[in-house]
Amino acid sequence: MEFTAEQNVKFDAKPKKFIMWLFVVSSTIMFGGWTSYYIVFSASKGKGHGLVLPDVFMYSSVVLVASSITLFLATRALKSNKINMQRTWLWITLGLGLAFAYLQFDAWSALYQSGAAMINNNAAISMIYIVSGFHLLHIFAGLCIIVNSLIGTYKALSTEKAVYRQEIAAIFWHFIDILWIYLYVFLLLNS
Amino acid sequence: MSTISVHDTHHDNHDDHAHGHHHETFLSKYVFSMDHKMIAKQFLITGIIMAVIAMGLSILFRIQLAWPDKTFPILESFLGHWAEGGRIKPDFYLSLVTIHGTIMVFFVLTAGLSGTFSNLLIPLQVGARDMASPFLNMLSYWFFFMACVIMMSSFFIQTGPASAGWTVYPPLSAVPKAIPGSELGMTLWLISMVLFVASSLMGGINYVTTILNMRTKGMDLWKMPLTIWAFFLTAILGILSFPVLVAGVVLLVFDRSFGTSFYLSDIVLGTQILPNQGGSPILWQHLFWFLGHPEVYIVIMPAMGISSEIISVNSRKPIFGYHAMVYSLIGITILSFIVWGHHMFVTGMNPWLGGVFMITTLIIAVPSAVKTFNWLATLWRGNIRFTPAMLFAIGLVSFFISGGLTGIWLGNAALDINLHDTYFVVAHFHLVMGSAAIFGMLAGVYHWFPRMFGRLMDKKLGYLHFWVTFICAYLVFFPLHFLGLDGVPRRYYAFTEFEFMQKWLTVNVLVTWAAIIAALAQVAFLFNFFYSIFRGKVSTQNPWEANTLEWTAPVERIHGNWPGEIPTVYRWPYDYSKPGSDVDFIQQTTPFSETMSSNMPHDFEGNEEAEEIQKQWDAVNKPSQTAE
Repeated sequence: MEFTAEQNVKFDAKPKKFIMWLFVVSSTIMFGGWTSYYIVFSASKGKGHGLVLPDVFMYSSVVLVASSITLFLATRALKSNKINMQRTWLWITLGLGLAFAYLQFDAWSALYQSGAAMINNNAAISMIYIVSGFHLLHIFAGLCIIVNSLIGTYKALSTEKAVYRQEIAAIFWHFIDILWIYLYVFLLLNS
Repeated sequence: MSTISVHDTHHDNHDDHAHGHHHETFLSKYVFSMDHKMIAKQFLITGIIMAVIAMGLSILFRIQLAWPDKTFPILESFLGHWAEGGRIKPDFYLSLVTIHGTIMVFFVLTAGLSGTFSNLLIPLQVGARDMASPFLNMLSYWFFFMACVIMMSSFFIQTGPASAGWTVYPPLSAVPKAIPGSELGMTLWLISMVLFVASSLMGGINYVTTILNMRTKGMDLWKMPLTIWAFFLTAILGILSFPVLVAGVVLLVFDRSFGTSFYLSDIVLGTQILPNQGGSPILWQHLFWFLGHPEVYIVIMPAMGISSEIISVNSRKPIFGYHAMVYSLIGITILSFIVWGHHMFVTGMNPWLGGVFMITTLIIAVPSAVKTFNWLATLWRGNIRFTPAMLFAIGLVSFFISGGLTGIWLGNAALDINLHDTYFVVAHFHLVMGSAAIFGMLAGVYHWFPRMFGRLMDKKLGYLHFWVTFICAYLVFFPLHFLGLDGVPRRYYAFTEFEFMQKWLTVNVLVTWAAIIAALAQVAFLFNFFYSIFRGKVSTQNPWEANTLEWTAPVERIHGNWPGEIPTVYRWPYDYSKPGSDVDFIQQTTPFSETMSSNMPHDFEGNEEAEEIQKQWDAVNKPSQTAE
């Protein structure tokens, strides 16, 4: 991190953003592993999960898309140097993210009550829990990154650091938003 | 949180300035170090310790294979109930081969090899102060360390370590009651692997980011040494394939611990029918080998890069076919993702699909052969300096040829039906990825030891180490081909139960003795390594007279690598014995204006002004040549 006294340290966000992109790639591949398991499984067994997915998943998807929009507005507010507005939008994003997490739990209990438990002799049904569960872990990580940017708005950060924090949050949050839409559509299409 | 630095900027920034004066404590220098050179050494020494452990395990099961009827009371005294009466138990034999494979493939040849040399050489050879994220780099080592500790801790539990083979195929691995090793030992194996993958990903992401974003001025992609190309493509392979292993491992954890049926169906255990229905163990094999096959290239490609560099330096010749070397690495990288099915020819795979996997597998022979011929052509008529590093690099070429040829046999679906799961496979992969990769790693250790520790390793001990290891490795693995051709299956505990296998017992005795002698030869290496860290001959800045950037950094190994500005790069790294030059090596930092007598027209890459200057210089200094 730090070098000898004569070599002072200059902040360079580019490689760090690149790291986030590569993380996005590897995470995508992990979910790709699960969805390809699902495809091969349902092709060889001739069956998918065979459920009508609970409506709550639809509401949670809407909430998550909305949170992406509010995060985008936060980024735009920062770019036009309106820190207060950025802070407000970040708080709203955080709230929507937590609402999404709550709705996912709600969806699981709806699934469970309809008789589609996680411990199931149809692996396709268990897979719904796996992918949505690991997606939720990503949401929690994303919330931490958003909080990090939020804390930044209360400190006197240099512009480049504030932009960096916001951009890292944006890359990751939009990624998990798109990831969820992919998973949801995948599960809808492969019932 | 900060990375590149250019001196004399930002003196006004108090926050950053305060960080500049920081005092290194023992903890921050040697333990939680964020300096890539120290992290490289941490990976190397941990890797060496793990390699010694895994080698010890292999000696234990070799003893069992050679003398299945004899008792060795000493074994009982330190293995306890796993070797009651001085004979290793069958369950423990399976644990030994499982953990030997796991440690060697993942902990030694992935983390020990990439972790050491990518960390050491990427910043030094591309001209960067450190990795893109030194913090992530430190985390990568400590995740690896935790993975090692958890893996080894399974030797200290009642039921023993995992024993379903390093590929942990379900249902054996998924049903805790199946064998003792599938109880807690398997759980520890899975936890350890998740940490390991996390470590690999943190490392790999850092390597790719550093190479793409933090090269010094003038270091375009086609001026990078082949080591960097190899580490770069290896890291990409890891990023694209390790997450799939995590996906598979997560499902296995749920099957084992929570009762899902991803891989399980129709299992009867004794008289009890398991409730799990509808899963398929074949799907584990698909997920596992989607990582598992790229994994063997994750193991061999850094070793190839290291050898390319060392062979060129010590032949005092440019590497033959630099571009072909890079394109063949890229070819191997891409092809490695579409060949995993060749591990599964006998799982009931559709023969047409098997045919596709067979063709893609055989195509990999092309880039592999390109690399082999290029190494041989580099050696051809070179002024070879047989340093220990050079011998090990040539050893890699030898093992890669003799092990690679049998890959063509195994890649054929029709032949594989006979040869799969026999000792032929064991012989094949121990030569082509085991021995070849470990020789590449040892070559790297001998070659870059002065860069790591500022001292040289002893040459004579290095020669002893090389020759004994080289000869014994062939004595160990070559005879195994014939066992395999005769149909002797792998993983069997003793050869005494089957009539046709008994004639191979004497061969097993030879193999075991060779393995023991090879293991003893490693003592020469270990002594040489640890002694030279403290007492070795002090090295000069550029002991091998090499061109690459790491040898322009001071021997003292300062934090940030170069005092003052990072050097600029002007040429490719392989200008050895260039015609017209007075010296037989021209470093990457030497501008063409200082080597007027040896410049070639293609050196200028179409820069007309430079070509014009060169022409004028030639007209004055080489009148005879221009007249022709």
